[in-house]
Amino acid sequence: MAAQRQASSASQTPHISPAELSYLYTSLALPGSPIRPDGRSATQFRPLTAETDILPGTNGSARVGFADGTQAIVGVKAEVEKTVVSADALKLPQQTQEEYVGNNDGEANQGSSSGHGSWVQMSIEIPGFRDDDALPVFLSEMMREPLVESVSSEGSGNGEMTGGLKGRLVINKRWHWRLYIDVLLLSQPQSYPLPLLSLTTHLALLSTKLPKLKSKGEEDPFFDDDWDAAEYLYPRSTSTASATPSQQVRPPVTLLVVSVGENIIFDPDREEIAVADTVLAVSITRDSDSDNLKLVSIRTIDPPSRLTQPGVPNSENVTTLGSTAAAEEAAILNPSTGEEEVPGVWRPRRGGVKRSTVARIVKLVLEKGGVGEEVLEGLEGVQVG
Amino acid sequence: MAITILPPVVDHVDICPSDSDMDSMSVDSDGGVDLATGRTSRPSKRPRLVEGTDITSGVVTPGEIVTDDPQWMRGHGTYINPLSTSIIATVAGTVQKTNKLLSVQPLRARYTPEIGDLVVGRIVEVQSRRWKVDVAAPLLAQLPLSAINLPGGILRRRTSADELQIRTFFSEGDLVVAEVQTVHSDGAASLHTRSLKYGKLRNGVFLAVTGTGGSGASSSMVKGGVGSGPIPAGAMGASGTGGVVRSRRQVWTVNTANGGGDVDVILGVNGYIWISKHADDTAAACSTTDSVSITRMEEMVSSSIYSSQNDDIPPQTRREIARLAQCIRVLVQGGVRVDEENVMSAYEASLQVDLEVGDDDDDDDDDRRREGREYLEGNKARRILELVLERN
Repeated sequence: MAAQRQASSASQTPHISPAELSYLYTSLALPGSPIRPDGRSATQFRPLTAETDILPGTNGSARVGFADGTQAIVGVKAEVEKTVVSADALKLPQQTQEEYVGNNDGEANQGSSSGHGSWVQMSIEIPGFRDDDALPVFLSEMMREPLVESVSSEGSGNGEMTGGLKGRLVINKRWHWRLYIDVLLLSQPQSYPLPLLSLTTHLALLSTKLPKLKSKGEEDPFFDDDWDAAEYLYPRSTSTASATPSQQVRPPVTLLVVSVGENIIFDPDREEIAVADTVLAVSITRDSDSDNLKLVSIRTIDPPSRLTQPGVPNSENVTTLGSTAAAEEAAILNPSTGEEEVPGVWRPRRGGVKRSTVARIVKLVLEKGGVGEEVLEGLEGVQVG
Repeated sequence: MAITILPPVVDHVDICPSDSDMDSMSVDSDGGVDLATGRTSRPSKRPRLVEGTDITSGVVTPGEIVTDDPQWMRGHGTYINPLSTSIIATVAGTVQKTNKLLSVQPLRARYTPEIGDLVVGRIVEVQSRRWKVDVAAPLLAQLPLSAINLPGGILRRRTSADELQIRTFFSEGDLVVAEVQTVHSDGAASLHTRSLKYGKLRNGVFLAVTGTGGSGASSSMVKGGVGSGPIPAGAMGASGTGGVVRSRRQVWTVNTANGGGDVDVILGVNGYIWISKHADDTAAACSTTDSVSITRMEEMVSSSIYSSQNDDIPPQTRREIARLAQCIRVLVQGGVRVDEENVMSAYEASLQVDLEVGDDDDDDDDDRRREGREYLEGNKARRILELVLERN
């Protein structure tokens, strides 16, 4: 029972007393500038260490460690596979392909030039969880989906990345690459591990190289032996000019954002998630045709705050009746939840998020010079190769 | 700057000086991988604790032979196979020698309760007549219903009515500050809160400190350092014996800067720490009840000990509480002992560092930069540690 509760909720709900929860919530909900327990600003991330190409047997790999000691390793392995051509795809003439690029319905277009989502496999291993536990399965789907769905529109300047990652995996009509992304969390999850795993996967994909193709057109694929000639899965900027990276297609990054009261907080730690009104996983990616970031997906994550123990106001507490007989607490209305609350007493959150909050989160992530851009720039700065 | 990404730090592994190593290294290197010599050659690569003996200094790992010499007696953290004379380490830590007694001080250990320790604990289980409390010891401590104060300070036998409403006193997840009353033969502790300074905790933040807690550090560091003599900075950082140790004052009040008011710090010997707004007992009682007579004062105080409702805490106090918590984190990361003296000097150092940084920042009014200023990491943490060690 306890294990199930852990797996389904945003993280293990640590035992936290109602007084602590109330203190944390009111600190984080202070209008204007939240006071986080570790003194960070609302948009500040914990410092992390990152390196790439650490596993020699893989096409690309990365290791990221947070300052709190949690570490993740990601290895990307590519394999050539024969494309299964479905019967109707064979019958359909060439013209339908353009439709598929426009409205991508995934299942029917096997074998077309746009690729298929199942060519990317992701497995996540978290200590203490089985492979088929809810948390690893949910996390891997949450990270795989934006990865394969982040399709850039056709006719962009960068010919190689047409059709996004799926399109990049196509070798020719009969052959394609299959990507295995293995994510390994090395330490016990201190907080919800999604941001760590997502950043690591992003770095690993950035450093992923595929052998250079020598064969042409519809021939059976034949590759260059020389690993030095291999090409990056996501093309790196060839010139060192600083303006170019913004034009490159990049794998998506999933950021964990929580809202507490009117405040929006990035990279929350375990205690902050425990009091959050809402927990959202926002996936962003960089598109090749515009300077702006593109929002790929938003998912709500079950906030653990609803499972917490409620506090007992002094007026209802048998053991404190004597002290508060005179002073009646006036219940006030919490503006963000619309519930009546006694100040200083913790009430578990009921969930639900306002549209304006989601809109503010999206704006903060996507805006020029916003959090999303800074994160992607930071990741771009990591030495690859 | 939202995110800082650093290159990985390579740990410098050069414990052994290379003077005596040359010959043994060369023997190993030409032989390739040789499993048979691995066990015997390992101690020979280490520097000696005592000249002329074969006791290794530095860190030993569990199962490693500390010495073969029969003249030594085994102490804590070691083991002797009945058929041999070699002393084997059972914990990872440093070898210590007291006359002819060899013991291994663990690098990290759980807290071993001792009678009279002030501990902060978290209720994890409620049973019919007692609570089970997590105090970071190997076994859960117990807090019997008969070992707490009843609200209002009434002295009477605990009835079945008290047992039924046991959760109104403490329920799961609540934090308590208590004292170790007895230690049972299996090492489990029994706690009591029969004092006005003990009881439920509110109005603050909790942090659990890693380190040796009370056990490992108590014998090695405190005995040397209880007179608060100067401790070499290198030894402190290298041995990594941070964490809370038993000292004279585990609870004190800080008069914080920046209008934060008074803040209480409770350092549980078990490594659990509570930092909260100072509850001026009489003032608190007066604020909750408008008309309180002087004869009922004591009753008031003791009846608010089971409240789980926080007082109104101004943002300035919250900032300073967060700062104190970070100072303790910095100390722990730096492997510095957490006690009143070090915490206070770290706090002052953090204020000083803030001033230094503040001077540079005054030119540009970048809001974003200003906001994250309270986060102590990297350079700031290093500077604070330097200042703390300077003062000692």
